[in-house]
Amino acid sequence: MKYILLMSGTRAGVETYHAWSKQDIEAHMAVLQRINQDLTESGEFVATQGLAEPRDAKVVRGEKNGFPVTDGIFPESKEFLLGYWVVDVPNAERAYVIAGRISSAPGPGGKSTNMPIEVRRFATHESKSR
Amino acid sequence: MKYILMMNTMRAGHGVPAWPQKDLQSHIAFMMGLNKELRESGELVSAEGLSFPDQAKLVRAGKDGAPVTDGVFPESKEFLAGYWIVDVDSPERAYVIAAKASAAPGPGGAPLNMPIEVRPIMSGPPPEML
Repeated sequence: MKYILLMSGTRAGVETYHAWSKQDIEAHMAVLQRINQDLTESGEFVATQGLAEPRDAKVVRGEKNGFPVTDGIFPESKEFLLGYWVVDVPNAERAYVIAGRISSAPGPGGKSTNMPIEVRRFATHESKSR
Repeated sequence: MKYILMMNTMRAGHGVPAWPQKDLQSHIAFMMGLNKELRESGELVSAEGLSFPDQAKLVRAGKDGAPVTDGVFPESKEFLAGYWIVDVDSPERAYVIAAKASAAPGPGGAPLNMPIEVRPIMSGPPPEML
């Protein structure tokens, strides 16, 4: 079963990353890279991506003639996707364990960020195999 | 340049939309047609639909690193319904594709004109974080 692990945050939250020391950032990245490596070795890794900062985000709607209308103004409270992992695991519990590891990646001063990770199952692959 | 197009349309607690079967089928057919078109133009990297929010869990690492799951979300939270990753020459092309997805048919065949969030994808952590 494929699950997506979504890491989200607000724009203000994202901007606090700029205040992290180089050492803290390196330690954080090293743990995330280690998780990716472990998932690759266990055969559970499907994909991972980091997204560019929310200031580059746009919301698009199709106008009556199908022409795109872009809008870049978001409420302060809006949560933005920061990045995600797609994993192929035997059950939801295994997806939660992986999400827990990501959540415990170190932040400033090496203290765990305890960042909430949203875990969602993919619908597409299941419907294709029916 | 890679972009992610996100359909953030769902609300907490919701399952399959209560549309007539015919309307659901034309919506799905439209989405499959869009994917086919993007595959043929060589722009489609991946496209996935997610299961409904009633199955979503929020995971945090507990003190011992064990996952702590929580399935209670505020009613106002937006959920990712699905996404496309496209590899295109310009942001404008990503907006055109997003507008097409935005205009997918809803109940009675009328275009939904739903908002699609468009974000550049990073190939690695931002240089200022390394």
